[in-house]
Amino acid sequence: MEARPRSAPAPSATRREHRAFFGSRPENIVRTVAILLALVWSLAPVYWMAATSLKTELEAASLSPTLWPHHATFANYLGLWGGSLPFASFFANTLFTCLATAVIAVLIATPAAYALSRARFRLRASIGYGMLIFRMLPLVVLLAPLYLLLLHARLLDSSAGLIVGFTTFGLPFAVWMLKSFIDAVPIEIEEAARIDGYPRWQILLRVVAPLILPGLTTTGTFVFMEAWNNLIYPLTFVTTLEKQTLPAALVLTFTGQFKTDWGGMMAAATVTTLPLMIAFFAVQRSMVRGLTSGAVAGA
Amino acid sequence: MASISLRNVEKRYGDVVALSGCSLEIADHEFVVLVGPSGSGKTTLLRIIAGLEHLTAGELYFDQGLVNDVDVADRDIAMVFQNYGLYPHMSVYDNMAFGLRRRGLAAEEIDKHVRRTAKMLNIEALLSRRPRQLSGGQRQRVALGRAIVRDPAVFLLDEPLSNLDAHLRVQMRAEILKVHRAVTATAVYVTHDQVEALTMGDRIVVMNEGRIHQVGTPGELYDAPVDKFVASFIGTPAMGFVTCRIRRSANGIELFTNAGRIDVSPQQEHILERAGADSVIVGVRPESLAVVAETTELTSDATLRGTVEAVELLGAEQYVHVTTDGGHLTVRVARSHRIIVDEAVTLTAATRDLHLFDQQTGAALR
Repeated sequence: MEARPRSAPAPSATRREHRAFFGSRPENIVRTVAILLALVWSLAPVYWMAATSLKTELEAASLSPTLWPHHATFANYLGLWGGSLPFASFFANTLFTCLATAVIAVLIATPAAYALSRARFRLRASIGYGMLIFRMLPLVVLLAPLYLLLLHARLLDSSAGLIVGFTTFGLPFAVWMLKSFIDAVPIEIEEAARIDGYPRWQILLRVVAPLILPGLTTTGTFVFMEAWNNLIYPLTFVTTLEKQTLPAALVLTFTGQFKTDWGGMMAAATVTTLPLMIAFFAVQRSMVRGLTSGAVAGA
Repeated sequence: MASISLRNVEKRYGDVVALSGCSLEIADHEFVVLVGPSGSGKTTLLRIIAGLEHLTAGELYFDQGLVNDVDVADRDIAMVFQNYGLYPHMSVYDNMAFGLRRRGLAAEEIDKHVRRTAKMLNIEALLSRRPRQLSGGQRQRVALGRAIVRDPAVFLLDEPLSNLDAHLRVQMRAEILKVHRAVTATAVYVTHDQVEALTMGDRIVVMNEGRIHQVGTPGELYDAPVDKFVASFIGTPAMGFVTCRIRRSANGIELFTNAGRIDVSPQQEHILERAGADSVIVGVRPESLAVVAETTELTSDATLRGTVEAVELLGAEQYVHVTTDGGHLTVRVARSHRIIVDEAVTLTAATRDLHLFDQQTGAALR
């Protein structure tokens, strides 16, 4: 049997780095408290949403609110699918429009990002920054022109109209995000493919796209999440209730003149949030990379 | 196989001149090395030959055919990049087969070519691996394999060994030359390492600041550099230079500094007469100099005194760096020779081993 070393082993490089970054014990405590405060602050509404969704109608509407459900029930969730509201349609509409938006945005953004990353032309920087400026405009500014465009194209009150609207807003960010992924692909790999005889579009398809696959899924997910969260476009462009998306349906269906179904609304809100959370956790690593790539030399 | 001809090639990036007046003839099957310091334009010239950069002015011919506007895909070239440029998402086999597939070869034909090349480079066992699973040397072999499997007319190599350690670099040099002999394609090889250039090239092209300084065999460059830049760039350790004043008398011409004097041959005397200058730069290779004891009777053609600045021991021999009035010289001496730093020494050389350069232009005086 091997003898154990008597002296304590030297701390590993990772542990030393950890200590160097996080500092001594009192500093650690302060940091932990600060992080916990921030977490409580931002997660409190989410907790309230989930807790209310499990309360009875009476408890949810009580004037002295309870911190947790005293008589937990799934009635609000069961009511979503079995009730008079076309909740399944809302869910399907949202899923379809958001998925279509993500796919279309990535399909359009990929060649655009490739051109911005690789081609050398006079207005390259201006076009790139122009897209970013467009992105910074508030959604409301685009509402009237988009409404008129969709009106003339006869796309109001349709999924196609919503997809056009969502894509318009998601595309600039998708282009910039994908550009940062393409920038990270060494140019020699593409030059090797050019020497191997491949034209640009095939290089994009067969060499660049497989290499930026995490970027494509991250960008798609990001656009998907943005579209999913969009409230103002469905409220403006869609008039038939059955064609609504989840966020708009939350506003339109659970609040009445005399009564608000808080439990039902919170159950619907929880169901609305779940796909977003799943999508985020699935791509969180590459999403952070996508947002920060190019921030340091060699990244 | 192809010959390459560059005629007055110029490359500009806006106002920056990367290459100017570059003319070069590369014969079929030849192994030519472009060598020069960073920013000399050697890689730009290689990329112009490849078609990855467009030339601003001048003409580029492959086998007498003008290829200025011919796309890179149609030039029948293969290139090995400094950082290999392998497709990371493909196996070694697919990396090598990718170009062949584009040519529309049948699967069996592709398989035959890939396996034959893999055998030649001893990478058969790696065919199913991805590039990230390979060592630097293995990646280099795969990059070579990808280039030669297509049997190109011109084989371009852009500093292919610069990422390898010294031992592997020596090994791969021999490997590349072996491959070149086997495929007999015209090869253009870029390096900043003059040892690599001297050991590999049939001919060497020395470049600096976007200009070709000299084209010649390794021996020609070493023995008869056309200017001070080539003289200092080719050879390790570099040639040393001393600025000397010219004294003309009835007995002929003598070169001198405060630290010594140099007799010149009748031929050199004639050259200096023709140049008509008051001073000249004298270049001496380290192996042409000798360190002699102070007590020795000086009978040599050239005698210079100086102070030892540093001594580098390299196993069997040592390099002695000496500062003299007018310049810095390096001497290669046997390890047994006892040299002390800061000590005064006398250096001697034979007239025939001296190189004369114009002090203003740096051009060799011949």
